[in-house]
Amino acid sequence: MTSGRPPRLATWLVSRATPAEDREPLLGDLEEEYQRLLAEEGPASARRFYRLEALRALGPGLTRRLRAGFAADAVPHGPLPGRGGSMLDAVRLDLKLAARTLLRHPRLSATVVLTIAVGVAANTAVFAVVDAVVLRPFPFPEPERLVTVGTVIPKLRQELSFFENLSPAEYLDIARECRTLERVVAWDMGNRQVAHAGAPENLFSSFFWGDAFTTLGMAPALGRGFTADEIRRGEKVAIVSHRYWSTRLGADPGLVGGRILVNGAPYTLVGVMPRNAVLYGTELWLPMEVGPEVFPRQRRQFQVLARIAPGRTLDDVNAELRALTARLAAAHAAQVPEYDGIRFLAHTWNEANVRTLKPAALLLTGASVFVLLLACANVASLLLARAAARGRELAVRSALGAGRGALARQLLCESLLLSLAGGLVGVGLAALAARSLGTALATLPLPITLPGEVALSARALGYALLASLAAGLAFGLVPAISASRRDPSPALRAFAGTTAGAVSRLRAERLLVAVEVAGAAVLLVGCGLLLRSLDQLNHVDPGVAASELVGFRVTLPVERYDAAAILRFFRELEEQSAAVPGAVSATVTDQYPPIGFSRARFRVTGAEPRSDDELPSALLTSVTASYLRTTGVSLRAGRFLSEDDRPGRPFVAVANETAARRYFGGPAAVGKSFEIGSGERARRIEIVGVVSDARNRGLDRPAGPELFYHLHQDQGPANQYFVLVRARVDPLSLVRALRARVAALDPQQPIYAVQTVRQALEAQGLPRRVASSLLLVLTAVALVLAGTGIFAVVSHVAASRTREIGVRMALGATVLQVRGLVVRQALVPAALGAGTGILGAVGLASGIGGLFFGVRPFDPLTLAGAAALLIALAAVASDAPARRAARVDPVAALRVE
Amino acid sequence: MPRGEHLGEFEELVLLAVARLEGVGYGVSVRREIEKRAGRAPALGAVYATLARLEQKGCVRSREGEKTPMRGGRARRHFALTSLGASTLRASREAQERLWEGLDLGRASREP
Repeated sequence: MTSGRPPRLATWLVSRATPAEDREPLLGDLEEEYQRLLAEEGPASARRFYRLEALRALGPGLTRRLRAGFAADAVPHGPLPGRGGSMLDAVRLDLKLAARTLLRHPRLSATVVLTIAVGVAANTAVFAVVDAVVLRPFPFPEPERLVTVGTVIPKLRQELSFFENLSPAEYLDIARECRTLERVVAWDMGNRQVAHAGAPENLFSSFFWGDAFTTLGMAPALGRGFTADEIRRGEKVAIVSHRYWSTRLGADPGLVGGRILVNGAPYTLVGVMPRNAVLYGTELWLPMEVGPEVFPRQRRQFQVLARIAPGRTLDDVNAELRALTARLAAAHAAQVPEYDGIRFLAHTWNEANVRTLKPAALLLTGASVFVLLLACANVASLLLARAAARGRELAVRSALGAGRGALARQLLCESLLLSLAGGLVGVGLAALAARSLGTALATLPLPITLPGEVALSARALGYALLASLAAGLAFGLVPAISASRRDPSPALRAFAGTTAGAVSRLRAERLLVAVEVAGAAVLLVGCGLLLRSLDQLNHVDPGVAASELVGFRVTLPVERYDAAAILRFFRELEEQSAAVPGAVSATVTDQYPPIGFSRARFRVTGAEPRSDDELPSALLTSVTASYLRTTGVSLRAGRFLSEDDRPGRPFVAVANETAARRYFGGPAAVGKSFEIGSGERARRIEIVGVVSDARNRGLDRPAGPELFYHLHQDQGPANQYFVLVRARVDPLSLVRALRARVAALDPQQPIYAVQTVRQALEAQGLPRRVASSLLLVLTAVALVLAGTGIFAVVSHVAASRTREIGVRMALGATVLQVRGLVVRQALVPAALGAGTGILGAVGLASGIGGLFFGVRPFDPLTLAGAAALLIALAAVASDAPARRAARVDPVAALRVE
Repeated sequence: MPRGEHLGEFEELVLLAVARLEGVGYGVSVRREIEKRAGRAPALGAVYATLARLEQKGCVRSREGEKTPMRGGRARRHFALTSLGASTLRASREAQERLWEGLDLGRASREP
């Protein structure tokens, strides 16, 4: 218990505040009284006493320490301690001086603090999001050792996939033969109707073959995990998510051990997962084991989770997996030709899930760093301008004996104070931004489910601190160095304005303008390219009437529906759906663009299989005859499937253009045939038609080959299908009526995955969309910073040249000439900055090309637009100070100073 | 007054308490003495600040005492009156008595 010891924070405070000689007796006294009160009145009273006394000790203690400090500070502008006094005293004095100086210029200080705040806020908010989404999205302990195994199958043109990528036999090979992995479990995903009291609800479910809880390192929050026996025998036990338990089961702990209905069958609820246990949004956890004899090696619908064995690394695992795939290829090449060249690649679970988000995260982090850089440049120019005004103050101090180091240190102290104050305000802004960003992200169908909310964690705060310190150093270093180099004598003799220092300052200010424009250029180009990408994506024809189509899914429990009943149900549902007011037509299908779960390998009849060739494979989609009419896909050759393509009739299929072109000789495809399956399930299917391509792999990728067949010709049909309904009104307005039609057919069947095809297509491009909206905000901030920065610099430069301008005007320069002179001062460095920035941006953009679509980094339109915008910005920002400079009265100007 | 020392009101209370404790007074007991006699419980921190000031003025001296587990192994600091302290207190009292002489403000409102 803590009650035996006095409160730690209070003790710390007292020991900080009390002068050294009294520290020990005072703390001893406090503890003595504390112990007495603890014995006599109990811990609460003792702690209250202690804390109160600690607070009351602060006043006298700090007063004494300050008084001691003031004694050393008797001559505030005298030579700084640094040789005589201790380093700590010197720093304390510096800080005190800095604070006083800053408070004496409240407007300037506030501007600097606010500018830094904007920069720090942008960085911290972006970091908070990136941290929550990409760096540490999952709550599982030791995330660097939790891995999943992905597959690359070149022969099937299958790129790296971590999803439904392994068969039971392959899982067992990995689990048994890999010494570098332990606690290997496989799992499959599906849908189950779950009811406790009331109507069943579709729950996204995961089926675990092995003890996933020890692998994840996360036990159920209530109840227990599955036992080995339960997994082996596939017993009817279930664990539900925290969300389901708290929203549907009334958060009743008493229900653990009770019954719930899964697909109508009674299961024992043995546990509830913790709130943050997120595994692709799994709501229902069930045990399962599949014998390798049930599924052939090619039937890949599992993924695996494992821990790297102690003392091994991810590289060790991958080396072992390489050896394993070589053995597999040697042993099974005859039956499983795609083993030729197959690769198993272990990735950490984090990496496997967020790798598609990384480019966006990198882009945003980079952009926010640029915003901070711009903020620093702005502040540096403000401080540089002030350093000029302070030239005399510094010169006097230096003449009185302050070393150059001491002067530089003081300036640096001021910068750090400013940047930390800015950081503090920035963290406040970032907290607000992170909260609204988190809310916005939570409502979006991101590819990964966020376990927690986006909040300012300790890590984010640390990042903010680092960012502000870096900023303080960055913008403080320039004036500090220039101060330490300054020779005091000319500043004492003459006035600032025409000295050599002023010339080098002008050069520094022009450089700052260039830097600001370059920074803004990078963001502007990145943002422009991303917006152009989105525009290009919006112009991609999805190949289906995406905006008029709404889809939903129904999963019939195989416990109550046999194959014939399933077909009857869906035929009925299709008719009913098409008859809903507002509907044009409806079709039943097992996948639709861009959703493609089901793909298969086949052999083209008559073609010689060449061993070095890729093996033909395509999305294999079962549909009904109304598919064409409903989706808007058009017939290119032959005929489409019809209701006559029933069981018992010849097997027929329709190819999309890509499949026809790649495997069946293009226009001549009709009449060709292919073979699919093996052994008893092998059959030969004739191509009877060719239809147009749809973007079946997402809007940003060309269509993949796809073959359609009538779902009535499916051997042993699936139990879950989508219904697509085309509407002449807003398709989502039909959902209520559609739900009612399903309920009329079977009140136990919920519908789920309700969305328009347009929404499904857009969900895939979501990271790009989110990234571009955030980048748009950052770019706007950057442009504002650059604009105000240029304005400030040009104002200052123009003001310091008042006398020169006066001379010029006295000699006959016109107002326009003077304006031109001042604006040119900004335009030349701005043009240089824009050029550099744009070139840099093109280089950076080539590095993260994955985010862009339909534009090359060297996109002339974007680059020219950015350049024009930046030059215009510089011109506008410098025009106001130029006008002011041109209004100067030559006589007055010559009298200045 | 020797050395021209002047005592504040609280300093005087603390100094009197130190005198009453006869050389073995320390933070807690000084505070308790003031609480008992003067009816107010000053903060320990304030007691120490005052004792430090008194020591600077030469009115008290201190020595390190025993370390006990009750105190988390920290030593006590005992305070004793110096002769300067004693004469300062006497001088203060005499000055007060001279001022009180012949003055009658009635009985103090505090009952004995």
